[in-house]
Amino acid sequence: MKSYRILAVSALCCGLLLWTAAEAPAQAVVKVGNILPLSGPSASVGLQNKQAQDMAVQEINDAGGIKSLGGAKIQMLYADSESKPEKGVAEAERFINTEKVHILTGAWNSAVSYPVSAVAERYQIPFLVPVSVADKITEQGFKYVFRIAAKDSWWTRDQFAFLKDLQAEFNTKVSTLAFVYENGDWGKGFAEGWKKHAQAGGYKVVLDEPYPSTATDLSPVVQKIKRANPDVLLLTSNAADAILLTNTMAEYKVKPKAIIASGGGHADPSYLKAAGKNARHLFDIVEWETDVNKPGAKETNEKFKKLFGYNLTGESVDAYAAMYVLADALERAASTDPKAIRDALAKTRLTKGPAMIVGYDAIEFDESGQNKHAALVMVQVNDLGKGLERITVWPKASRRAGYKPVFPIP
Amino acid sequence: MIYLLEDAINGILMGSIYGLAALGLTLIFGVLKVINFAHGSLLMVGMYAAYWAVLLTGAHPYLALVIVLPLMFAFGYLLQAVVIQPIFKAEREVREPITVIIVTTGVWYILDNLALLVFGPQYRNIQDNPLRGKMIEAGEMLISVPKLWGFCAALVTAALVWLFLQKTRMGRAVRATSLDRDAASLQGINPYRIYNIAFGLGTAVAGVAGVALVPFYNVFPTVGVLFDIKCFIIVVLGGLGSIGGALLGGMIIGVIESVGPQFMTATWTEAIVYGLFLGFLFLRPSGLFGVKYDW
Repeated sequence: MKSYRILAVSALCCGLLLWTAAEAPAQAVVKVGNILPLSGPSASVGLQNKQAQDMAVQEINDAGGIKSLGGAKIQMLYADSESKPEKGVAEAERFINTEKVHILTGAWNSAVSYPVSAVAERYQIPFLVPVSVADKITEQGFKYVFRIAAKDSWWTRDQFAFLKDLQAEFNTKVSTLAFVYENGDWGKGFAEGWKKHAQAGGYKVVLDEPYPSTATDLSPVVQKIKRANPDVLLLTSNAADAILLTNTMAEYKVKPKAIIASGGGHADPSYLKAAGKNARHLFDIVEWETDVNKPGAKETNEKFKKLFGYNLTGESVDAYAAMYVLADALERAASTDPKAIRDALAKTRLTKGPAMIVGYDAIEFDESGQNKHAALVMVQVNDLGKGLERITVWPKASRRAGYKPVFPIP
Repeated sequence: MIYLLEDAINGILMGSIYGLAALGLTLIFGVLKVINFAHGSLLMVGMYAAYWAVLLTGAHPYLALVIVLPLMFAFGYLLQAVVIQPIFKAEREVREPITVIIVTTGVWYILDNLALLVFGPQYRNIQDNPLRGKMIEAGEMLISVPKLWGFCAALVTAALVWLFLQKTRMGRAVRATSLDRDAASLQGINPYRIYNIAFGLGTAVAGVAGVALVPFYNVFPTVGVLFDIKCFIIVVLGGLGSIGGALLGGMIIGVIESVGPQFMTATWTEAIVYGLFLGFLFLRPSGLFGVKYDW
């Protein structure tokens, strides 16, 4: 037993030695500390983020690195947050103090990014946040936090704007709404936005129902939806409960005029597979869809799919674009000094290059560090003869050519 | 009124499946006197076994039992014989060795992460099976067919386990060991073999629960965790080691979860379930059918 242990330890040491030897820099490197949930409940999305960023970094390095820094390569360092705020903070401190990173990125979970942003601000290390959407992250008056994705409140705003346009387009009136959402920070945040917009829009809310995401049976919730009989149902769900809700609603024949979901579980690649035809006609809000009408988007997605076996998601596109935003800032800063990188990031105005596979036309940060151009699209799940797919329907300018949304659901 | 009846029926059906999941836990505890923290993971293994059996053969989900039952029994038997038994032997003097609990926790982590490695984090379910999405329409009421099957499976399994324990020689040996390990071994019963069999049996029952869940539930690596806590509450409610108690405890929880949300938000029913759990721990720690005084 003991000899095994010694063997294992020595093997590990050898591995570490080899690893450090291989990483010995031949030239200047830019160290990027990346905190992601690589195990625990968000492991699958954490991995999707990592793979998108790895692909971008590989492309940047292969194209000659950062030219204004003599071809310096970007070196990614990863830390696992396990979706835990305290773990994320500890890793951020380690990255800054021990690894001496020049910039931080991550951390997917809003609950982790929020405290990490305070650490970054304290040490004056720029923190580039691709996807954590909680409003408060960029509303602390910090100078070192930059976010690519649209914030929380924009999501609910756009869901209601879409609902309004939908009624006008199909001349069908929607008067009652039901809100069903997971009982976490994310779901409750959305519900608050919904309530505000529903009041402003003159809708009647017939059901306001949080549920535990860990529920093993959602038929009681589905029964409540059925009995409340809303015109439109708004959902915020994680993956397991999204699948369970969709299937249970089909069983109980719950058919509102439209179901509008909020990304998250409904955007998880395994959702469509597991919910199958029951997911048909669902509307979902996302940052990006594979059918987006932008040059290079298709090729990038194909390259990604070939490497990792699944499509890019809105979140992975933000993560991918973030690396090009960083490369652009480094190029202009011509320095690895965190202060100089920060100033360059603040002056970002990226309108071309691979990052422009995003659904909008420029990446530019406002005073608070929020990407002010970030926009969202609505998609509808439908089967056009090639299996279920997500089809962009809103804003109308981005709608897939020739597609007419199905509303109300037959 | 009709709504209440509909919800109560759904609660009883779903609850009996919770009870079925908890049955294996209570069985293993009754004999080994240790809480098996890996029980949820065993349920997860059972669900994956059922999932693959149905997917690859295309058979009726309950026909998968032919494969799942022996597989799960062997898995549980070997798990106990190879991993847990050495600890029992090392702690021979202790009646309820705490270290075994730690070992089962380790087994839980290893199984869940192995599943994550092998099958990936995706959520899976079987799209085309004869039970999926079927509903019985009784007037205005809708009753889920796969849950009804689960209910029957729970009753049949509980009856068979009870018959096995009461009527067979092996069952008597199991009961003897659970009453007094030393006295049983004086009668020529090898307690370690009985432990293996009890663990195998408990795992096989978790396999039945897996088969019952697969037609309408998702399979993913951490699915066991969702049921784990429920199983513990049910077992305490029904009385540790009691078969009928597990079923009844499951149904009580099922009915609370199903009827409760009609009067409050769904998140509150969780609080009620935990409140009930605490209440039982204070007032009747032996549960509904548990023995008041430990042997």
